[in-house]
Amino acid sequence: MTDGAPGRPIRLTVNGIGHSLAVDPARRLLDVLRDDLDLTGTKESCAVGVCGACSVLVDGTLVSACLMPAILADGRSVTTVEGLAGPDGSLSALQEAFIVEGGLQCGACTPGQVVAATALLAENPAPSDDEIRDWMAGNLCRCTGYAGILRAIRAAAGAGSR
Amino acid sequence: MSDPGHDDHSLGGRPDAAVLAALARPEVRDDGADKVTGRTRYAGDRTMPGALWAAFLGSPVPHGRIRSIDTARARAMPGVRAVLTGADVEGVRFGRRLQDRPVLAWDRVLFVGDRIAAAAADSLEAAEAAVAAIELDIEELEPVLDPIRALEPGAPVLHPDAEGYAYLGGTRQPVDHPNVQGVLLRRRGADDIDAVFASAARVFEHEFTTPAQHHGYIEPHATLVWIDDAGVAHIVTTNKTPQGLRNQMAKALGLPADRIDVDAGAIGGDFGGKGYCIDEYACFVLARATGRPVRAVTRYADELAALNVRHAARIRLRTALDAEGALLAHEADVVFDGGAYASAKPLPHLSLAGGVATLSAYRVPNIRIEARTVYTNGIPGGHMRSPGEVQALFAGESHLDAIARELGEDPLAFRLRHVVRDGEVGALGEPFREARGAEVLEAAREAIGWDRPRPDGRGRGVALGVRHVGGGAVTLRLRLTADGRIEVVTGMPDQGGGQTTVLRRVLALAASVDEGRILVTRPSTAGAPADPGIGGSRVTHIGSRAAELLGRRLREWIDERLPRALPDAPAGAELRADALVDPATGRVLLGFGELVARLVAPDEPVELEASFDAGTHGPDEPGDNDFAACAVEVSVDRETGTIAIHEAVLAADVGTIINPIAHAGQLDGGFAFGVGAALMEELVIEDGVVVGRSLGETRLPTIRDVPPLRQVLLPTAVGPGAFGAKMAGELSNSPVAPAIANAVADAVGVRITALPLTPERVLAALRARER
Repeated sequence: MTDGAPGRPIRLTVNGIGHSLAVDPARRLLDVLRDDLDLTGTKESCAVGVCGACSVLVDGTLVSACLMPAILADGRSVTTVEGLAGPDGSLSALQEAFIVEGGLQCGACTPGQVVAATALLAENPAPSDDEIRDWMAGNLCRCTGYAGILRAIRAAAGAGSR
Repeated sequence: MSDPGHDDHSLGGRPDAAVLAALARPEVRDDGADKVTGRTRYAGDRTMPGALWAAFLGSPVPHGRIRSIDTARARAMPGVRAVLTGADVEGVRFGRRLQDRPVLAWDRVLFVGDRIAAAAADSLEAAEAAVAAIELDIEELEPVLDPIRALEPGAPVLHPDAEGYAYLGGTRQPVDHPNVQGVLLRRRGADDIDAVFASAARVFEHEFTTPAQHHGYIEPHATLVWIDDAGVAHIVTTNKTPQGLRNQMAKALGLPADRIDVDAGAIGGDFGGKGYCIDEYACFVLARATGRPVRAVTRYADELAALNVRHAARIRLRTALDAEGALLAHEADVVFDGGAYASAKPLPHLSLAGGVATLSAYRVPNIRIEARTVYTNGIPGGHMRSPGEVQALFAGESHLDAIARELGEDPLAFRLRHVVRDGEVGALGEPFREARGAEVLEAAREAIGWDRPRPDGRGRGVALGVRHVGGGAVTLRLRLTADGRIEVVTGMPDQGGGQTTVLRRVLALAASVDEGRILVTRPSTAGAPADPGIGGSRVTHIGSRAAELLGRRLREWIDERLPRALPDAPAGAELRADALVDPATGRVLLGFGELVARLVAPDEPVELEASFDAGTHGPDEPGDNDFAACAVEVSVDRETGTIAIHEAVLAADVGTIINPIAHAGQLDGGFAFGVGAALMEELVIEDGVVVGRSLGETRLPTIRDVPPLRQVLLPTAVGPGAFGAKMAGELSNSPVAPAIANAVADAVGVRITALPLTPERVLAALRARER
């Protein structure tokens, strides 16, 4: 967005890069990420905070970007799926595990799943299956039946604890 | 071999141990890294400079006549570039087979959400504000909301002009009532089946209902349309049969097919729903009117209410047994609510092929099964994972179970007594290359511990399904470059099934080259080889066969050129494990890369092509089926009516598995689909209006709702795909709901005949029994 564009000025850091933007207070964080910053890995599906496809981390906290006005992200640090791999492009243990364990098929829910699972393992590095199910219940997947997602999170947690 | 399309292993020979060992290694999906990093771009992630947003006005009433539309205020709003109504596209109707749905209604509207007007504006907000400002005057007409009512003699005729509708690829079969969309009638045995019923020792009758459901893909429909300077319309869309869409658009819009280029890219979930697109037409008209690219992304509320859904069904079954207890006759009257338009249905009969699958896996000498789709003023019905079969199998497997229990017979033993065996034909008269129903039932029996005493309060249920392996004709193209890379060009979109990994694995094995050399690309329709698209349980079968042929072509091509390029090569030198090898000594002569560098000029890549048509490769294809038995152990909370699934087993008849991880994922995903259909999924429709128009209200299963599934795989080597592959995507979902319903009957003694098995229905049934 150019200088002088209408809207309230905000500064936010996305995947380590600082941005100064002017945003309409009605716009969602999801719109700013996708439309202004071209970070289309964060998906829109249900748009009512149920499906988890738009999951991002805001200062490390798991958030549905479809429910958060962008102006509330002013001064905060946002991590999207594009920010999970290492600076050299190496995949995180969770990203690897989602591929290897069959945690994805069509991929539409996958960014949200990986972001949500990243938040889970940050908070609880060795979750039980029940804890994984409770945490991940906010991320719908229509393809995998969840078995591969469960395996992937277990595997990444195991890899992290070694 | 007389037929070059055939090969040894697809005719029953087990693939050799090296091939099996290679296929047993878990695959690493070639689309995985892009999907876990968010790099994969779906249709809704794409835009163009200057693209406008489209928004649509839908009908507020289920049945009405448009008196007037005033768009003056909408057109004058800031940022609005075009507002179109039915008057701008009068007479233009579209559809996959029968083109009965108007791009924008100009006269009558036939369901709530039927598109009336379209706006294109600089922003989505402006486009939505424009359609909200359209002034519409509609005369409400009496709606026909019940398909049974629609079939009555005096019912309002919803499509009085049906004779003028275009029908793609042949002639529409006649229907016996103007509100019938299509019919599938299967008869066998006695002409007078009523007489057979009259002579039977026992006759059982039940009626079942199943609701409308949405596919629930995470990616909503999305499209981006622009028309280039040469007049070619570019359609970026989430469509699984892009060549079909091109042809349908050409017919509907009166354009030559080469003026339409469809780019289906990556598809974020299909399950049948991405065979049908509606916004592409209106966006084309808007792009033509504005000279700008136009994009649309369907809001999930409209996904649930206005696209296409699984057909609700009412199924009446009647089955006769003779004095010895054999199945004597079976009659099914299956009525599907087709909604306002038949345009989402692709098959020639305009009904649902699976609708006749009530007792397909059993011996029944006399049948009359009729599956009709019927026009109503509801949401159009479309294809959804195992279309028709989910509904029919819930009815048929519940019906059989109820018969067994009424006869005092063990339901699993009852099925074993009647299930079709090798050399026999099933109820529909169809032969099975391998009839493995008994095997999967026995495997499910063992795995669930069927014969062990039931824990207190628990019940067990089983259901058996059988589904064909689909066919079709497909072409793949290969481009070999001097640097040793192999590009496989396909017209097959990627909906997540893992088919590009199938193509790579099979081609690598057939050609004996390293899989890492192979890159699968999916150009838009203008550059793609012929492909029927995804669906009908066909992709692994025909795609793998074409990839296998392509691998052989590559070997043949190398054989032909070897004498000239490598005159010193020993006789019979051949590709093995990514190298040219002297078969006499096993010595590696050249790596594949070096070999290709000698055979292929730097700027002249080699292009090869292979086609496979299951329809012309007769003897091995008919009768290829997968059987699957689902068995569950449940308990029912008598106070809340909730069902808990404690154990779940799927015993599946599978071919040679090409992608072990993806195969397991298809069966797991299908099971979750079945659990959703069984326990919670329903589009609630009141007075023609979908209520609960969000995923917050129309529930889909979460990770907490799907219990672990134990898969028992019973491989066979006689599948029609490469190395004996079969199908997996539409195998596991259909038997789940009847297995659960049967387990509920076992646990608490009530038979629920309507899906989903909600706590309310279970409680009502328990209370009705107490009264």
